[in-house]
Amino acid sequence: MSSKTVKPVMRSAAWRISLWATLAFACGTMLVFIFLHRFVADDIQRRSDAWLSGEVEVLGDVAERTPKDALYDRVVGEVAELAGKEVPNKLLSESSSNDSVFFLQTGGDGSLQLWVGAGNGAPYLKAIQAVKIVSDHPTDLHVQGYSVPFRVASIRLNDGSYIYLGLSERDELRVLRSLRLRFFLLWLLLVLFGFGIVFFTTRRMLSHVREITEAASRIGHSDLTARVPTTKRNDEVSHLALTLNRMLDRIESSMHQLHTITDSLAHDLRSPLTAIRGKLEMSLSAVLQVEQAEPIVSAIDELDRLTDFLNKSLDVAEAKADALRLNRVSLDLDELLRIMIDLYEPSMSEKGLQIRLHSGGPLTIEADEALIHRMIANLFDNELKHLPADCTVNLWLQVEGDAALLILEDDGPGFDQEVCPYLFERRVKGRGSSGHGLGLAFVDAVVRAHGGIASASNRVAGGAHIGIALPLASV
Amino acid sequence: MRLLLVEDEIDIQRFLRTSLEEAGYQVEAAGDGKTAERVAIDGQFDILIVDLGLPDQDGISLILKLRQMGVHAPVLILSARRSVDDRVRGLEQGGDDYLTKPFALAELLARLRNLLKRNSPPGNEATRLRVLDLELDLLRREATRSGQLLQLTTQEFVLLEYLCRNAGRVVTRSMILDQVWGMRIQPDTNVVDVHIYRLRGKVDGQGQQPLIRTLRGVGYVLKDR
Repeated sequence: MSSKTVKPVMRSAAWRISLWATLAFACGTMLVFIFLHRFVADDIQRRSDAWLSGEVEVLGDVAERTPKDALYDRVVGEVAELAGKEVPNKLLSESSSNDSVFFLQTGGDGSLQLWVGAGNGAPYLKAIQAVKIVSDHPTDLHVQGYSVPFRVASIRLNDGSYIYLGLSERDELRVLRSLRLRFFLLWLLLVLFGFGIVFFTTRRMLSHVREITEAASRIGHSDLTARVPTTKRNDEVSHLALTLNRMLDRIESSMHQLHTITDSLAHDLRSPLTAIRGKLEMSLSAVLQVEQAEPIVSAIDELDRLTDFLNKSLDVAEAKADALRLNRVSLDLDELLRIMIDLYEPSMSEKGLQIRLHSGGPLTIEADEALIHRMIANLFDNELKHLPADCTVNLWLQVEGDAALLILEDDGPGFDQEVCPYLFERRVKGRGSSGHGLGLAFVDAVVRAHGGIASASNRVAGGAHIGIALPLASV
Repeated sequence: MRLLLVEDEIDIQRFLRTSLEEAGYQVEAAGDGKTAERVAIDGQFDILIVDLGLPDQDGISLILKLRQMGVHAPVLILSARRSVDDRVRGLEQGGDDYLTKPFALAELLARLRNLLKRNSPPGNEATRLRVLDLELDLLRREATRSGQLLQLTTQEFVLLEYLCRNAGRVVTRSMILDQVWGMRIQPDTNVVDVHIYRLRGKVDGQGQQPLIRTLRGVGYVLKDR
């Protein structure tokens, strides 16, 4: 069916391809960002550690040299405060109160000797005492009341006291957080942008593929003149289109050859048949006695049968190669069946047969009128020839899905068991059959040429069952 | 009636010429397109029979060329091809007709008559048909034989009407199928014969002169004498 249904974007290949590509891209860039983040974080830490180590050394030096008098606390305290103003990674917006740096000196006995920093030094001392701080090696320190840890460097003075210089990691973390936020926004932008680019390029590329598919499906069974659209670009898709078109060229040329052969065969056989028939008719008109006419009459009959056989074999041959030419018109199957039944009913009732149509009303299909006429005549001829008296032929005509379904059933002897699997083959016929064995093959050929499906089987209850599904709109 | 027969097969040309002359036509024959063009210009023809498969050109091209040259007589196209060309269909719509080979002579003659009738000025369309003592009222769809009303079905009436319109002339089974049932099929059963048989049972009653005659191997004829 060519009825175009709008596919949801989410189910298209372009969507899936871009989803996977974006996933891979997002993972990759995320990894790169994580690595960068680690690098930056380590670098910041190293810088602050270096600052801490340097400052604590300077402070230690100052503390050593400053005489332990009344001014000691002031001198060391001021130096410590000054140091605190040169904190690395410090944000400009920082308020004047400096709680990001503390200076702490303990005595040899571990008591608090000097405290420079925000608030009370006691919790800091407590935290310092809880962890072992190695000299010259800055460590993390969690102080109660502060969510952000301090980085603490220490130095031991000669008098056995310790100097601790602590730097809050708050600014460092803030820098990193803002870095992460920027990274994340950039990453999101990149991923969305990447997804967009991938999606639109694949969609554009695949839309060519879709155009090719649609064009290819429009190229019907027997109409091979159309071609799929090609693009000027020299990519895989245009190669696909070109290859398809070359393939169609080859198919068309071999089909054309087949038509030429069947046409010339038909022509070469029909011309002598015409001449013979004409001569027979002329001699028939000259004959006056019935006895003399008999052989001529039967010769004409034979000749007509031969013509019919010729037509059907060529039709079947072409249909088997999907090359039967159709001349589609709108056709009401219901009306056609009624006319056909009207035509066949007298012959059937003469033989004691009944025929019934169960139809849901007018049912129009696009089909080759002459072929459908011949096909139905064929089915009815079969019933008329093969059914014994007192049988009933039932016909059902209905719409099923997007097809017109014609079912023919009888309560006769059905098909011979041995031919059952080959009913649609040429030259297959039951033992008692006098036909040329083309009947059902022709039916199948016509149905297939219209893009439909024919089936034939024996009913469980006895009798033959023939099902024919023909698409409502032309394929 | 002057008729131009364009057919390259000598055998077919010969028997057609004989049969057509017997039927009362003045026949000129041509074996190829060139000859046909020359003959068609010289003589005033009432009707043409053109075979599609000519040795020097396509029959359709010949017809189109003749039309351009001012030959407007109706054409009966003979075709040995399998499928009916779109161009043939076009001509058919333009008032011409086609017949596939092999054909029955009676059918050829009937189609020629139809073509000639189609191209003659329309006379008063009869509302009654009369053949001997058989009378058909086409408006009331009633048939009487010797004044006695015949009980016919719709289809039987159409069949009898067709026979009456061709009274005295042979009609074949395929002509009946085409004209009465509107289909070009060739059933290999006796469907048409049974219809004729039934109709005859109603038309030719006991003691009456039989009107519907069977011509074995050819078809049927409704006697008009």
